[in-house]
Amino acid sequence: MEKKNTIKMKCFRFDPNNDKESHFETFEIPSNGAISVQNCLVYVRENIDPSLAFFINCRLGFCRRCLVRVNGKSCLACTTEVKEDFMVEPLLKEKVIRDLWCDGL
Amino acid sequence: MDDIEELCDKVISTDLLIVGSEGAGGHAAIEASKSGIDILIVTKGKIGQCGASQMAGADFNVDGLAGKELGFEGDERDSPDLFFETLVREGLYLGNQKMVEKYVEYAPKAMKDLMDWGMKIYSYESAHTEEMARGIISSGILWVAAIRKKVKELKIPILEDTMVIDLLITEGKIAGAIALDIISGETILIKCKAVILATGGWHRAYPFNTGPEDLTGDGVAMAYRAGAELISMEMVQFCPITMVWPPKDKGSIILYIISEVDPFGKTIKLLNNKSERFMENYDPTNLEQSTKEIVSIASQLEIEEGRGGPHGGIFFSLKHTRKRFMDMLIKVASHRIKNEMKDTRYEFTTLLPELLERMKTEDIEVGNGAHYMGGGIKINENTETSISGLYAAGECSGGLWGAVRVASACTEAGIQGKIAGETVPKYVKSVENSVINIVQVKEVLNRINAPLLKEDGTTPNELQQKMHDISGKKVGLIKNGKDLEDGVRKFEVLLENDLGKLYIPSSKNKKLNFEWIRSIELRNMLTCLYISTRASLLREESRGEFYRKDCTHTDNDNWVKTIVIKKKDGKCDIRFEKPIITKISLPQGKLTYQEAIGVATASLKRD
Ligand SMILES: Cc1cc2nc3c(=O)[nH]c(=O)nc-3n(C[C@H](O)[C@H](O)[C@H](O)COP(=O)(O)OP(=O)(O)OC[C@H]3O[C@@H](n4cnc5c(N)ncnc54)[C@H](O)[C@@H]3O)c2cc1C
Ligand code: FES
Repeated sequence: MEKKNTIKMKCFRFDPNNDKESHFETFEIPSNGAISVQNCLVYVRENIDPSLAFFINCRLGFCRRCLVRVNGKSCLACTTEVKEDFMVEPLLKEKVIRDLWCDGL
Repeated sequence: MDDIEELCDKVISTDLLIVGSEGAGGHAAIEASKSGIDILIVTKGKIGQCGASQMAGADFNVDGLAGKELGFEGDERDSPDLFFETLVREGLYLGNQKMVEKYVEYAPKAMKDLMDWGMKIYSYESAHTEEMARGIISSGILWVAAIRKKVKELKIPILEDTMVIDLLITEGKIAGAIALDIISGETILIKCKAVILATGGWHRAYPFNTGPEDLTGDGVAMAYRAGAELISMEMVQFCPITMVWPPKDKGSIILYIISEVDPFGKTIKLLNNKSERFMENYDPTNLEQSTKEIVSIASQLEIEEGRGGPHGGIFFSLKHTRKRFMDMLIKVASHRIKNEMKDTRYEFTTLLPELLERMKTEDIEVGNGAHYMGGGIKINENTETSISGLYAAGECSGGLWGAVRVASACTEAGIQGKIAGETVPKYVKSVENSVINIVQVKEVLNRINAPLLKEDGTTPNELQQKMHDISGKKVGLIKNGKDLEDGVRKFEVLLENDLGKLYIPSSKNKKLNFEWIRSIELRNMLTCLYISTRASLLREESRGEFYRKDCTHTDNDNWVKTIVIKKKDGKCDIRFEKPIITKISLPQGKLTYQEAIGVATASLKRD
């Protein structure tokens, strides 16, 4: 049975050009059926804040470039399912170009 | 006077620019490097980690005799002539026979390259045709890894995460191109003598598709803007049994892939929302084992007639099998994937076992995803386009297949890449650099910068939504004249009005500006969709992968011809061309759709 509910994504934000330091922003994502971290990020970019920077290409684990940290653990955003509130951060904070996109992905 | 060198942030000179780094572009670069000319690859992603090639199954085709020569089991009953005949006949005669001859001739050569470069091969079997064993099975990941390794070994210069925006033409000849570094936002002027476009398809122009994010028809659209001819743009292949639900797996074709493999193939049932095995009404003999086209069309007719699932698909079912059988399937599949193939692909190692487990008790909703673009930039058997110095290879090109992609597109990418890599150096050595036209450079820069300068208008997200609404409803798998006409009108409005109103609300900074990149891609996707819809409206018949509900016959008296479109005075200039013949003459007569593709089926037009 499909359940409609909301997942809160606490998302790392940082623009080295404008921000002195990084901060977190929390987005509410409607979830209906199994969703991935990447589905949440795309939802934000298409519906809330189009400036959110993250990597996306194949959506199915082929390119292996969408690496992020979810609740501290590194994983591919597109193949990682989320069922409850979570925190997403860049793979390497010291290499951030903007938000979740790191140099060397 | 402006100095042309100062208009862009960087200037690079090379002999040959290759746009796209994968099955076609990478292969072309490796081949062309043998000649000693200067080469630069520019790719929107990272080599080996972008495009459709990485996601391919992937099967390669060679005729049975060549297969034997390459060291596989092969098939002595087969021959290059028989392979040629299959391609022409099953492509329903629209293919350029000179190009088909080259495909057959170069398939073993391109295959040998890949084997020499160390591409691992899983098996040898029949993939696309049941008559003869012609398939060499590897995976997209292994394919692009072999190409990447070779490109690195040869130290071929490459710009990654960089998008080519437009071609620069002087007096009808290639003079260069303008590119954009997606991360830094810097523009790059590339001066060169020749360009090979290997940019793949325009999958992302459709709301439901199987392709990666970078496939937005850039190469096809920029070739069109430069005045090159496009061909068979109406031939868009949709893949049946593509997952529509849940969102995490949307676009995956893993269930289609296993439906082609025994014992799955003979076991699955496709059901509508009334739990009817609807293939009984369309192809009672072959059922789910019918051709890809018939399965697609039948599923889509069920969906359009209100018998689909809640997310716009039909159901892939294994629920009727015993639990013991499912457990056996899971065990056999995971043994083969993990131990025999040592496959690392997520869809195989993780998603498939997960789905099989779920399918013990539930059905999976699947539909038709835009999957392969049969048309594109018109080339000849030497990959030459209608513009001097401009070449195209792989999925962005057109002319090889007729109305069905009969054999491997991976092989197509390889052979055309190889041919382009052989052909272009000769041209490069015979010409001088052309002078770049400063007005053209300014026009391109002004056009791409315009959305950054505006304070209000339409956002890229809004325009993308509008585009997907039209492409999803008007130019899907099953077409009809009224919708196509409406689609043409609506795309025209988006191209002429909405594109000009685009603005970027989130940030005016060019660095990693996704909305800005999307604004550039939207022009390309809309251009491809518009031309594809125009061509679809013209073709008043159904043929192979092209199906019109209002003209269900295959009309060999009037339509054994291709549609060729180019830009002239800002408008589409359309002409018709008979396919080039070398050995097989063109058929006549009107056939029902099923007769033409050689399948005895019940009517596809169910009321
Ligand atoms: C999921 C999936 C499965 C498939 N499975 C099979 C299969 O089993 N067998 C088969 O025969 N075929 C299969 N195909 C089709 C086949 O994979 C493709 O037709 C083929 O790989 C195309 O190769 P290509 O090099 O022409 O294009 P692609 O591999 O798509 O590469 C295009 C390249 O161009 C780059 N690019 C695009 N625009 C620009 C730009 N503006 N500037 C710079 N670079 C740009 C991209 O980043 C990429 O590097 C499959 C396709 C998909 C989507
Ligand atoms: S987007 Fe390619 S692996 Fe996640």
